[in-house]
Amino acid sequence: MIEVSELTRRYGTLTAVDDLSFTVERGEVVGFLGPNGAGKTTTMRILSGYLPATRAKRLMVAGHDVLRDSMGVRRSIGYLPESVPLYPELRVDEMMRFQGKLHRMDRAELKGRIDTVLDRVGVLDRKKQLVGTLSRGLKQRVGLAVALLPNPDVLILDEPTSGLDPIQRGEVRRLISELSAEHTVLLSSHILAEIESMAPRVVIIHEGAKVADGDQASILTALGGGQGGHVAVEIASPLEASKISELMASLPGVSGVETGERLGIHQSFRVMGEGDLREDIGALAMTQSWALRELSWNRPTLEELFTRLVSGTLGTEHVAAAREAGAAPTAPAAAPAPAQSSGLSIEPVGQGGGSAKPLPLGTPGTAQPKTIYSLNPFDRGASRDLSKPVSVDAPAPVDLSPNSDGPEEDQEQRP
Amino acid sequence: MNGTLVVFQRELSGLFRAPFTWIVLLIVLVLNGLIFNGFLIGTGGNISDALDASMTGPLFWIWIVFLPALLAMRLVAEESRSGTLEYLLTAPVSDFAVVLGKFAAATAFLAILWTSSLLYAGATAVIGGNPDWPAVLGTWMGTIFVSALFVAIGMLASTFTATPLLAAFLSMVACIAWLAVPLLAGQVFSYLIPLIAKTEEARNAWATTVRDIASNMDAFGHFQRSFRLGLLDTAELVFFVTWTALFLFLTARSLEARRWRG
Repeated sequence: MIEVSELTRRYGTLTAVDDLSFTVERGEVVGFLGPNGAGKTTTMRILSGYLPATRAKRLMVAGHDVLRDSMGVRRSIGYLPESVPLYPELRVDEMMRFQGKLHRMDRAELKGRIDTVLDRVGVLDRKKQLVGTLSRGLKQRVGLAVALLPNPDVLILDEPTSGLDPIQRGEVRRLISELSAEHTVLLSSHILAEIESMAPRVVIIHEGAKVADGDQASILTALGGGQGGHVAVEIASPLEASKISELMASLPGVSGVETGERLGIHQSFRVMGEGDLREDIGALAMTQSWALRELSWNRPTLEELFTRLVSGTLGTEHVAAAREAGAAPTAPAAAPAPAQSSGLSIEPVGQGGGSAKPLPLGTPGTAQPKTIYSLNPFDRGASRDLSKPVSVDAPAPVDLSPNSDGPEEDQEQRP
Repeated sequence: MNGTLVVFQRELSGLFRAPFTWIVLLIVLVLNGLIFNGFLIGTGGNISDALDASMTGPLFWIWIVFLPALLAMRLVAEESRSGTLEYLLTAPVSDFAVVLGKFAAATAFLAILWTSSLLYAGATAVIGGNPDWPAVLGTWMGTIFVSALFVAIGMLASTFTATPLLAAFLSMVACIAWLAVPLLAGQVFSYLIPLIAKTEEARNAWATTVRDIASNMDAFGHFQRSFRLGLLDTAELVFFVTWTALFLFLTARSLEARRWRG
């Protein structure tokens, strides 16, 4: 349904999208993930026909070539930009009718379709309300209804949940999950929890280049399976800590055991190894008659992985190995097994993007320079891109310490 | 064509939903009415003079600088700022259809505005006056052509910036320049020509060239020479239509250039 091959887009000297390739099959829901300024919006704008590509080998959306048959693409997609552009002076049904007329929909068909779609997104009772008086969440729904009206094959939604409160976010998320049954959906977000709950497949981009692509489980296994996962164990036993750790290390699949602190009679351990080791450790504890107080499997979340990927703290040798596995899925045992089995491709951050070493997120001076449209030398806003409305979402500060739990917005996301 | 019509309808209905439009309508109609009335009384019932004053008097040329600029500012710059331009430019209509629809809506609005003078002429005819109908209709058509040209200039200016007021300002400056430069060109060049040309003949040849170019770009002169007299001269029609078409073409190109800039 969507095929992007070697897409590059430059704004002057700045490369916003750098040699990006991915495909989205019919009926798939793909989440586009990346920090602010990663090139998500640019890519979506190019796919929707709003911006031309600087260079692309192949750009197909819904069977139409974006570069040659822009009108065909525009007719078969529903595109909702982040700013949710709606005419404030129109009523909801008038806005819908305008969209229908632009798509040359039949008058009689349009009438029924408007009600169906408005009902679908849950704003049928607001049909006669002025768009300008709607709340942010309702506007988002109406925007979605406008995009859905011509029943497009492909839905491109740019940050569909930005600027919404947690309840509205949940509603929009549910709505998109429902839509995925009938449409191919490409959506973007810089909030991981959104993507995790809506899109089975994730494409992570950073500085315009693809960093990882695959379903969430395979990204997790490939990047964090061997490295970050561990089983936390807390045991009360008359045995020495070193003895216990030795016993656990002898279990099949265990690659290492760290001895933690002792709290009263309980001793904590971190057991590193492949896969879920809880049952084995539990069985061992039973045979040894240890009193088990805790047994939990801690896997790195996609959130942590994402933060590490884009801030470049993920082991480079790991990424390189995983990339090799992705580039040649049929390669023999040289590559690590988990990455090979997933068919996942991972590219090291910052390569070809110009900068040798990627700077962590939020580092001062890494904000991308924007094109200036204002001719007014006194305009204080001359440094921002005036062609885009100011985003309601302030870029969330990201905690960079490697053992942190992830960006703050994650916590806000899951109250 | 379908796209143009849809955009035209929305723009025109959008105009009449904005308070700005009604304020403009009120001010223009009141002032035009006062001028017509004043001249009618002042000249002792000379209908032609009174109509002329309300349709093409100095006030008209002031409106023609301000109104298209303010309308055009809404059409592109404001939409660009609110993001709806992105919606329109990703809808299945061509850029040119969007430009044409918007242009037609603004021009239609101004045409409605100038129609008030036709009502004055009609009213005087009803009460027994005898307005010079060819001149009245010609002037009315002329005002629409002039409006169209200035709306096109305003739209081009509006595509250069996303700050609506700056767009309006740019457009006003461009319109004033368009009106004033042909009148000033002769004066300016009377100082420059002696520097270039040494002999008397060369000087005369240069002066003729400059005068020709200036008069060919003189919208005011073209309007005065034909429409105002009730004359429909194809040469004058071609003058307005080609310049308007050129500016509309440039507007569509400029919109496309915006896409490249991002």
